[in-house]
Amino acid sequence: MTDLAVLSGAGKRVRRAAVDWTGIAFLAGLAVVILLPLIVTAVWAFAEVWRFPAIVPQRMGLGYWQDTLSRNDVWTALWLSLGITTTVTAISAAICFPAAYAFARLDFPGRNLLFLAFLSVQAFPKFGLIVATATIFLTLHLVGTFWGVVLIQLVGTLLYMIWIPVSAFQGVDRRLEEAARDVGATPMRVFWSITLPQALPTLFAAILITFVSTFYETDAAWLIGLPNVRTMPMVMISFINNALEVQYGAVLFVFLWVPSFLLMLAARRVMGADAFARGLGG
Amino acid sequence: MITASHPRAEGGGLSGLLLVALPVALLIWLVLWPVLQAVVGTVYFPGKGFSLSSYAFFFTDAYSLRNLWLTLWVTALTSALRVAVAMPIALYLRFRSGSIAALVQSLALFPLFVPSVLVAYAFIRVLGPNGIVDTVLVALGLPKLPTPYLTPAGPIIGLVWERLPLTLLLLLSGLGRVSIASVDAARDLGAGGLTIFSRIILPRIQSSIIVALAFNVLGLFSAFTLPYLLGPASPEMMGPYMQRTFSDNADPLNATTQAVITFAFCAAFGLVYVRAIARGRRGPA
Amino acid sequence: MNRREFLMASTVAGLAASTRFAAAATRIDMYTSSDANVSDFYGNVVKPAFEAANPGLELNVVIARPQAALDAVVQRALAALSTKSDPQLDFIEQYEPTLPAGGIEAGLWTDFGKAGLKSYAAVNKLAIQTPYGLPYRGSQVLIAYDTTKLSKDKVPKTFPDLVAWIKANPGEFIYNRPDKGGSGNNFVNRAVHEVSGRDPLKFTVDNYSQATADEVLGKTWALLGDLAPSLYQGGAYTAGNTASLQLLAQGAVTMIPAWSDQTLQAIAKGVLPETTGLVQLTDLALCGGFSQAVIPTNSAHFEGSLKLADFLLSQEMQTAIIEKLGGFPGVDWSNLPQALHDKYADVIPSSIPTFPAGDWTKAVQDGWYRNVAPNISRT
Repeated sequence: MTDLAVLSGAGKRVRRAAVDWTGIAFLAGLAVVILLPLIVTAVWAFAEVWRFPAIVPQRMGLGYWQDTLSRNDVWTALWLSLGITTTVTAISAAICFPAAYAFARLDFPGRNLLFLAFLSVQAFPKFGLIVATATIFLTLHLVGTFWGVVLIQLVGTLLYMIWIPVSAFQGVDRRLEEAARDVGATPMRVFWSITLPQALPTLFAAILITFVSTFYETDAAWLIGLPNVRTMPMVMISFINNALEVQYGAVLFVFLWVPSFLLMLAARRVMGADAFARGLGG
Repeated sequence: MITASHPRAEGGGLSGLLLVALPVALLIWLVLWPVLQAVVGTVYFPGKGFSLSSYAFFFTDAYSLRNLWLTLWVTALTSALRVAVAMPIALYLRFRSGSIAALVQSLALFPLFVPSVLVAYAFIRVLGPNGIVDTVLVALGLPKLPTPYLTPAGPIIGLVWERLPLTLLLLLSGLGRVSIASVDAARDLGAGGLTIFSRIILPRIQSSIIVALAFNVLGLFSAFTLPYLLGPASPEMMGPYMQRTFSDNADPLNATTQAVITFAFCAAFGLVYVRAIARGRRGPA
Repeated sequence: MNRREFLMASTVAGLAASTRFAAAATRIDMYTSSDANVSDFYGNVVKPAFEAANPGLELNVVIARPQAALDAVVQRALAALSTKSDPQLDFIEQYEPTLPAGGIEAGLWTDFGKAGLKSYAAVNKLAIQTPYGLPYRGSQVLIAYDTTKLSKDKVPKTFPDLVAWIKANPGEFIYNRPDKGGSGNNFVNRAVHEVSGRDPLKFTVDNYSQATADEVLGKTWALLGDLAPSLYQGGAYTAGNTASLQLLAQGAVTMIPAWSDQTLQAIAKGVLPETTGLVQLTDLALCGGFSQAVIPTNSAHFEGSLKLADFLLSQEMQTAIIEKLGGFPGVDWSNLPQALHDKYADVIPSSIPTFPAGDWTKAVQDGWYRNVAPNISRT
């Protein structure tokens, strides 16, 4: 059992120097499953002709890179996307985290029903809502504007930003909170020094998921953004959808590796097992 | 609805309502109201009155039922596979540190940054007919593999790959609440790995597992790109089926009916999560 | 340039750009969801020529791929009709005017028969299926095959020969799901023609009847169902035109139905090898289709949109469609120079059979999903 192996590794934390065989096994497995498709895609970004049964492309070149990156709209779209995504994530965190705390801890009328209702953000297929949504945005003159896209994408984040943090506040060990209160800590103090640190990794998971899924969201962006607002994935998808040349997609994909990788390192820092354990004194 | 008895209510109703007011207002205005309009539109026809005929059609139409059945089946299998794959990785990452663990985490989270369309392209280039796997096999003088492209296995492989990070993140964040000290203490008392997992770890991450499953179900019921690009033409999953009914058949009534039925299934799974939360509110056992 | 200067410079540039939009030109938002060759054609050929011919008008080419994006914008225009707001949509280069459901009834699309276009009389009568769409360019489906596996003289030239070849070479042919792309769709349409006496004129936009459909389509499903076990993977169907072309490019199949213009372009770009052969059936050609331009009646720049429609029918643009896009003209050949006709006579047929949109197409597509697609006998 992998689980057993993992746990026995954890049990003997003193002997860190031992070779991390479990980790190497995971690494090898993931390398094949995750990395291989990515590498193949990356090689396609440089391939001009690559036909079966050749193992490497018959002709390589940077032609598709030039075509893609010399386009102004790619760069404009990238900055625009980062702007929209950051705005959406920040507003969403500001309004949703307090709400999630309330859903997890406080008692108020209609709580369970309202909580369940957030499901409809993702569970009801978008096409059924297009006309109604478009009507609202048209009357507000938000079609084709930055804030229109921000608003519609903000709605799309509600489910993640409420449901995931609720599980975090729910999982906080109440005995610690009570102990703190018993020794005379104020409720605010308990929240900042006990509740929040315990919930933090999950809150960051929610932010990360929201950021990435908002960045790549297109359904709502098409409906409200066109013709003026064109985000990065909109450009990307119009490049690769029904395009015969796989290369455009591959180039944009490699192009997005850098920001993604930085984000992931940040994620490791925040969610990382060791950093967190130290915070808990575990 | 769900009655959450509350021995230790911490706050008044007013502050709770104020805290949730903004997201709830957005939700009602931009989602619930349009959803309600859509749902009413499938049963009430101005000038004609109430009718459930589109629902009757769905539940008597063998083709629609087969699509629904396929969706349920793929959802169950894919969710189970995701949790099964993500759990060992999450456990490993929680209790190990160091550069190898960091690499494992970076790799396992990578699919998060790959949009579905690219997953499909990469899939076709790797596992598709005469893709890289076939190329390597032929170069080694081995026979080609039967490709999962355009078979039911195609979308399942793609969907597990695509959403593995989400499941992993949720499990990992749940595991963050399991203190290493308690695991060590149990080990000192002579508990085996399996006991520790089921007695100490599982209860702490229950809500994370349930939320992970709930998101899986939601995502899979509306999955569109991968089933459509990688799967067989028929039976269809509900996502592509609804889209086709809506745009190609220009039949918004039946499409919305399919949407409402899908929605009902998702809501049922959502209820499980809400119940778990309500139960948890009563305080840890 | 330091960061602050850079920011200032870009702000100034942005201001300049926005005032230019506001003051100088009326902007026509023209949407397309067609493949890159068409959007490039608009950006590089139509836009400069149109703006030169119509001072004060600016053509904004909005790429809305995939189709679902354009569908959403059209739904938005329908919603704008009831709220009397600006749909921010002036012209669609290609859209099926019978969609969205209830669109024509609500008065969404402009009736070109009454719009007073100068050149409307020149449009090829056979191409007009409904006055709400303006057929301004066409293309045809033919058979693309791999000449390294099948020599030119052995290629099937009639539909019965094609069926015989598919059965004799199991796993070497694939067509896409009929609703996901015209190449597979027109292969299925050709099967409909085959079982109904090879007369495309039997089917028109307004002669759909359940009885005829049951009889004709029943036979079609029998024919296609019989073919299924001999297709790639014993009855698999790709998700679109490009997916089929990619299978051909990867050497996974020997033969597919494909759009002529798309295939020629793919060969030119090296996506398909030069050993790709093209052939048209001689007993009755595979269907083609005309791209129908539509104009929403609530377009904020309606006059400008009509000018664009007229411009696309001009001899200059129709010639460009033939020469630069590799397409088929939307106007009758009699309106184009004789020399042009002679030059392209070998490549471009004098007419192309079509299949009616609307009820017939819906019946064929949905019926195919219900009757042909499930009969998969995988081993």
